[in-house]
Amino acid sequence: MTVASTFARRRRTPGGTREGRGETGTARQAAQIELSGVTKRFVTPSGSMFTALRDVDVTIGAGKFCAVVGPTGCGKSTTLTMVAGLDRPSAGTVRVGGQTVDGITAGTSFMFQADALMPWKTVLANVALGPVFRGAQKREAQARARDWVRRVGLAGFEDHHPHQLSGGMRKRVSLAAALINEPAILLMDEPFGALDVQTKAIMSNELLGLWEQTRPSVIFVTHDLEEAIALADQVVVMTAGPGTVKAVYDIDLPRPRGAVQEIRFDARFLELHHQIWESLREEVERAYSRTTQGGRS
Amino acid sequence: MTDPTAATGVIGPAPAVDAAAAVTAGARGAARRRRALVWAARLATLVVVIGGWQLLTNAKIVDRFFWGQPSGIVSQLNDWARHGTAYGSIWLQIWTTFKEAVLGFVVGVAAGVIVGVLLGQFRFFSEVLSPYIKIANAIPRIVLGSLFTVALGLGIAAKVSLAAVLVFFVVFFNAFQGVREVDRNLLNNARVLGASRRAITRHVVIPSALTWIIASLHVAFGLAIIGAIVGEFLGAQRGLGLVIATAQNNFNPDGVFAAMFIIAVLALTAEGLIGLLERRLLSWRPPSQAEAAAA
Repeated sequence: MTVASTFARRRRTPGGTREGRGETGTARQAAQIELSGVTKRFVTPSGSMFTALRDVDVTIGAGKFCAVVGPTGCGKSTTLTMVAGLDRPSAGTVRVGGQTVDGITAGTSFMFQADALMPWKTVLANVALGPVFRGAQKREAQARARDWVRRVGLAGFEDHHPHQLSGGMRKRVSLAAALINEPAILLMDEPFGALDVQTKAIMSNELLGLWEQTRPSVIFVTHDLEEAIALADQVVVMTAGPGTVKAVYDIDLPRPRGAVQEIRFDARFLELHHQIWESLREEVERAYSRTTQGGRS
Repeated sequence: MTDPTAATGVIGPAPAVDAAAAVTAGARGAARRRRALVWAARLATLVVVIGGWQLLTNAKIVDRFFWGQPSGIVSQLNDWARHGTAYGSIWLQIWTTFKEAVLGFVVGVAAGVIVGVLLGQFRFFSEVLSPYIKIANAIPRIVLGSLFTVALGLGIAAKVSLAAVLVFFVVFFNAFQGVREVDRNLLNNARVLGASRRAITRHVVIPSALTWIIASLHVAFGLAIIGAIVGEFLGAQRGLGLVIATAQNNFNPDGVFAAMFIIAVLALTAEGLIGLLERRLLSWRPPSQAEAAAA
């Protein structure tokens, strides 16, 4: 599996090459995510109204990987916070697994663009936070965390603190911390945006490998269209702010996809990329001209 | 890097290794010379200041009746150690002041952390109380010492109270600020992972505020000692503050300096202990920051 092919690792457990697939039993049932007529307005500090999202209608099937692309400031991150239940829509409803979101959505994990690791906790303690917060015994939480640290290829780094790790390694810790609760929904807000191209490709492969094991529904926000197509079942293109859904493309590339570095030379990939980019480009250009005009006035 | 074959199996070109060894040895030597120089300069500073003071007072350029003399301070310390003070042995005085300062410190820190963390988390209360806190912070709190002496008498309680009040505000403001500065991403992440309010306080808010709180402890212990000494000044039956007050009344500057010296030793010891605590609790921080703080 892909995990084994990455950074040189130090093995801890003798014979510790146990395959990670499905050994922790069945994952929570993946849930369908449904946004209907979702509008989000903010009141700016100066008192004026700002509409971040307008009438967003989109449905993400249970266990599907959905990538959201769109120009900067089109409300992609806002969408995620509303699915997670960290924020409420001003109008419309967000439903997860048929239930309207009201409070923190159970069974959700969130991966932020910036590291959301506790700098004062070790890798192991950071990964163990999910089970600890859900009331697991410390020992059990640590055993599970140890397993997940190994699954993301960081065995031997359990006792390191986040500042001792590279950016890519910190992302692995975040990924393990997000997946340890076996979420029904995984929300990712440009999780690999800060990584260099090579590390990003490696992390994308690993994400796919891990996702295929537990199959949560994923919303993956990104700026990178290639990344979106390589990973997702469905690509949602958003308009320049106020954001709304411009188009939804089904990505019919077969799974398992294999290395993201190679799939981008596939003929079907190029075709899809061309199609979606045509649609996305208009929005990016509109957003760009708006910000430059705003800068002048 | 931990692979044993890398160390034994692969042997680099010998001259390069020698050159590297020479460079590190050279750097180490330079660092050692620099350290020696710094220490020599420190010693020289001490000799110049103390020696100059002694010489100037001996030569009657500076009046030792008002400004004391190093040799006088040493003999005063010696005298206290052998014959004690007017209020019992010098060790009793030191112990009394130390006890007052430490108790005041502990009470003040505990109250400051609790109130700071609570107000930092409950916006409503902090908004209600903020003008009063500002007022309380603006008044010269050292004056409260008079009040405490009258209300609580000449015993230890008045000094502990004064020290605690001085400590409280410093720690409180830092704890409050620390709670306010918690990374929103960390909070949101913990909430999504299913953390209860209490778990968030325990795992996110307090550890995050700890950097701020510990930074305040250095200042806070100095204030605790000031509180104890001023309390004793205002009225006491024993303690270093009383010893200083007596020396002042007897026109004995050597006594004042000698007590000052003892207090400085006390404060430096406590400072060292707080530094140890800091290194222990904040061991997760990148070394560059810890070094910068230590320097």
